[in-house]
Amino acid sequence: MSWTGTSVRRKEDDRLVRGRGLFTDDELEPGMLHLHILRSPYAHARIVRIDTSAAEALPGVACVLTGREVAAQCDPVMQLGPPPCDKIRDLPMAVDKVIFQGEPVAAVAADSVALAEDAAALIDVEYEMLDAVVDAEDALSDRSILHEAAGTNRTWQGVYEYGDVEGAFRDAAFVVRIPRMQFHRFASTPLENNACIAEWKRQGGVDFLCNNSFPGFAQQLLAPGLRLKADQVHIRTYDVGGSFGNQIWNYVYMAVAALVSKKTGGRRVKWAETRSEHLLASGHGNERTYLDTEVALDREGVITAVRSRHIDDCGAYTRYEPLGCVIWSQVLAATYKVRNLRIDFTQTVTNKCPVVPNRGYSRMQQLWFMERIVDICAHELGLPADEMRLKNYITQFPYETPNGCVYDSGDYPAMLTRAKELIGWDRWQKECAAGRKAGRLIGIGIGTTLDSGTNNFGQARIMNPYLPFSGNSEVCTMRLDLEGAVIVCLGTTPSGQGHETAASQVAADVLGIDPSMVHVRPGFDTAWNTFVGHSGTYASQFAVTGLSAVHGAAQKLKAEMRRLAAYMLEAAEEDLEFGTGAQGPEVRVKGTDKAINYWYMANLVNNNNALLDASLADVTLNVRHVYRPPFKVPDTERKFGNLTLTYAAQLHIAVVEVSRETCRPQILAYAAVDDCGTLINPQIAHGQVHGATSHGIGAAIMESLDYDESGNLLTGTFSDYCPITALNLPDIAWGNIETPSPFTYSGAKGMGEGGGAPLHTMSAALQDALHGAGVIVTGSHHPAPRLFEILQKPNRAEAVSVERRGGKQARR
Amino acid sequence: MYPAPFRYHRAATVEEAIARLVEIGEGARALAGGQTLLVWLKMRFDEPTDLVDIGRLPGLRDIEQEAGRVRIGALATHARIARAPLARQIPIVGDCASGIADNQVRSRGTIGGSLAAGDPSCDWPVLLTTLDAEVHCRGPSGTRTLPADGFVQDLYATRLEHGELVTGVSFALPGKGSAGAYVGFKRCAPAFPTSSVGVQLTLNGDDCTEARIALGSAGLTTIRAKAAEAELRGRTLGAGVIAKAAAAAAAAAEPVADQRGSPAFKRSLIDALVKRGVEVARRRARGETVEVSHEYY
Ligand SMILES: Cc1cc2nc3c(=O)[nH]c(=O)nc-3n(C[C@H](O)[C@H](O)[C@H](O)COP(=O)(O)OP(=O)(O)OC[C@H]3O[C@@H](n4cnc5c(N)ncnc54)[C@H](O)[C@@H]3O)c2cc1C
Repeated sequence: MSWTGTSVRRKEDDRLVRGRGLFTDDELEPGMLHLHILRSPYAHARIVRIDTSAAEALPGVACVLTGREVAAQCDPVMQLGPPPCDKIRDLPMAVDKVIFQGEPVAAVAADSVALAEDAAALIDVEYEMLDAVVDAEDALSDRSILHEAAGTNRTWQGVYEYGDVEGAFRDAAFVVRIPRMQFHRFASTPLENNACIAEWKRQGGVDFLCNNSFPGFAQQLLAPGLRLKADQVHIRTYDVGGSFGNQIWNYVYMAVAALVSKKTGGRRVKWAETRSEHLLASGHGNERTYLDTEVALDREGVITAVRSRHIDDCGAYTRYEPLGCVIWSQVLAATYKVRNLRIDFTQTVTNKCPVVPNRGYSRMQQLWFMERIVDICAHELGLPADEMRLKNYITQFPYETPNGCVYDSGDYPAMLTRAKELIGWDRWQKECAAGRKAGRLIGIGIGTTLDSGTNNFGQARIMNPYLPFSGNSEVCTMRLDLEGAVIVCLGTTPSGQGHETAASQVAADVLGIDPSMVHVRPGFDTAWNTFVGHSGTYASQFAVTGLSAVHGAAQKLKAEMRRLAAYMLEAAEEDLEFGTGAQGPEVRVKGTDKAINYWYMANLVNNNNALLDASLADVTLNVRHVYRPPFKVPDTERKFGNLTLTYAAQLHIAVVEVSRETCRPQILAYAAVDDCGTLINPQIAHGQVHGATSHGIGAAIMESLDYDESGNLLTGTFSDYCPITALNLPDIAWGNIETPSPFTYSGAKGMGEGGGAPLHTMSAALQDALHGAGVIVTGSHHPAPRLFEILQKPNRAEAVSVERRGGKQARR
Repeated sequence: MYPAPFRYHRAATVEEAIARLVEIGEGARALAGGQTLLVWLKMRFDEPTDLVDIGRLPGLRDIEQEAGRVRIGALATHARIARAPLARQIPIVGDCASGIADNQVRSRGTIGGSLAAGDPSCDWPVLLTTLDAEVHCRGPSGTRTLPADGFVQDLYATRLEHGELVTGVSFALPGKGSAGAYVGFKRCAPAFPTSSVGVQLTLNGDDCTEARIALGSAGLTTIRAKAAEAELRGRTLGAGVIAKAAAAAAAAAEPVADQRGSPAFKRSLIDALVKRGVEVARRRARGETVEVSHEYY
């Protein structure tokens, strides 16, 4: 039997549901200092003066750190973008001016966190207000510049052009124009806020216990920033309560905690972000504006070309950006076969919280854009939503996209069929039609999306050709410990995805034992020698990078065990089999009772090696495997190459009714069909689908990080931001199909992010409900108050236009 | 997110609590469930020097009925009221109690605190105004009884004097033909309502002999929609009459623009909620069992 494909019970849940998890903030010891960060109340202001004396005088305060000291102790973090990004001075604390509300201006370490906050209240900061720019287009006018040395707010611009766009528009039967669409700002709200404990070591270097989710990257940024060698930056995680990409850039706060520890002579310093801080200043998702979009279609309604201008708003610092300026192009044309595209892409900084990768990062924005195009065209040309998709879906796999990405496998029509069955498409179609006749605002919508996983970091060079990045990798180390237990260490940083369970399943399959016999260490530790620069949990890659590393390591370990067993049992390697016997896991000679168990093999190598022949000198039963996906460096001139290894797909259908009374968008039925290739653990995959669906529905109807004109965050508490909970969720009918990936050993594809499916789906369902009322859905956020406004002022006349170039209308 | 330092006292009796509050003076606050006060302290909107915990005072959490009146102790929690037989007996009370926030908040927050907080988004002042309740208070100068209507005078300001405590509320058991409904509309459990409406009608068939309508989250205090009541009183309920009343209630509201919506949206919501409230009250008056409470969007 195979453990892969089985819903093995999650190993980590035993400690988590009993409250025995160990999260960073759980760590408490006498003498530990607690950090509180004083943050800017303003979005854009010069710091005239900081007086910390009263705070420092408060008993129990160990030290206060200001931006000036940080600037003296620490070097600006490397910027990934090309000029003018190189001029951006990115320090973990504001020095001369603040550029977003919530930016750190000072840090206080004290005996308790309450005391630290009391002391911070005594710090006197004099600010001189500057004009804030909170709107992307306004920012691009450069009327107020955030990074003066850069001389502009425009941090990146590039044109992605493929095929014959002009020709396609010349030959088009229809041209649909959508002057403006907008994808809003939100974040995934991990249960656990950012946290770290830093300890500056007397022997040099710093130890961190934290919940950073991309420590391979954090180490590369922190070491030069803190003027240390990479190996002196020791990063450890244990249980982590969600990340969704947000926790990638808490290295900024790790740097602050490290410097405070340094200033106190190496005392352990804990920083645990509050929820308010998290909402205000931990990292938001990218906002994107789509301007002057034009879509060419043939007589049948097949899209032949798309051209558009996109502006991405990345908040105050570029940080992980401008990677987002290229990552979206992994899904350039989404699930559609259009081959002529021209996207002019610009990114700008604004006086808002910096963006970070957020579940569906950068691709979700492009997928939403493509989905809106397809959906708006269908409505404007009078084509049924399902037919429109079927006409335009990619159907042959592997499929090379116009920009050289290779979609490994998929079957979108089959997913559509499955989703229609789940939701009861025909019945709802009738009910929607009848309902609309009776004046109800009811509609059904389809969202098809991709979760591209396992990045080729070479794509970073499309954004900046000088970046020393390409490919991808992940590590697993595996050994038999002194007692013969199988010990597995991962380079990933699990934050709830069940890595311990899935890794056990994979190793158990290779060794022919039970997953309970495989011990996967919780968390991550640079001291294990189990990491590379790509190590971490992000970008939907664990099932591919993480598990391929586990698979490779298990095979290496198995090969060593086989050699050892063959020698000891005096048998040929081919005659051996792996399994479990009366004395636990063992290797035996097929068809006999001659066997050697794991304990004895470990004993031989570790304690009893005079029994071994010299030919086994290289057998250590302690192996390390690095998995590297087969990538090449993309052609940066043409912006062409394979940017991702796998393409999981999601297809959702929603039936939504907008109440005529209250404008509440009520979900009447919801179906989610997933295809992530071969399932490793169906229950975990199902959980991921639920999570991603909840996040997406939350983003579509509840969650938005709104700012006023001065750059004040208006939704800075849970009562205002309203992250979705079970009480706001409909029942989700789950379906699954499996199109195994030809590019991974198991056929699995990464699937953690979910492609923002509900955002596309909710927009489409609302479009269907409101088209008759003269509404074109051009935004991604649809809470009742916004639906009220749009119903008061239907926008169809300005939001879309259709040019019909002779010939008949597309077939109904 | 951590309160400024304060001293903590726990009073054993109402007298002691009042004495303490008076003795400490301006810097002292009574602490009941803490579901409003602790939030303010954590945000440092308020920095009292002393908290006098009244949460365990004896005899203040009972729900009783006597001589045609219902009396609820100030320390009765939202959850306790939601679970009490009263919530089924007088469904409008259940509508309100079970719709407040989430389980955690309901298990700690109290009806007295909800009144004393003076927050226009709190539900109890609206419900108690709808039911023409009385608020029983006890302070340094003795006891007094105030009408719930007008108890909250201004944003976060009530008629309570310093050192004066709410000890309970009471209202008449609704008579024959009298029924009501309380409906709030909000984004999610931990959010305060965008708008809420309490409606209590006395009906004879469809003839309305008495009506009370109060609006929450509709201005700086609970707003009594008297013009809307007048549209119903003495009339036969029909779509036209109800629409007029709803429009009058919407016109009486003074909502402000915030993240929960524009004034126009909130007015249209009040219009819708009044209609819904009247409809439910009417069905309940006929003896039907109708479930309503806060609606999430
Ligand atoms: C996340 C969240 C969501 C919420 N949502 C809602 C909602 O939807 N609807 C709603 O109605 N409420 C809501 N609340 C508020 C909640 O109902 C509070 O419980 C209530 O407003 C205050 O009651 P308390 O017992 O907690 O009072 P406390 O917080 O202890 O006190 C509040 C104020 O009243 C004073 N006080 C308390 N008791 C007395 C008394 N007996 N006499 C005199 N003064 C007193 C205190 O000194 C203080 O000034 C919410 C609260 C939270 C935290």
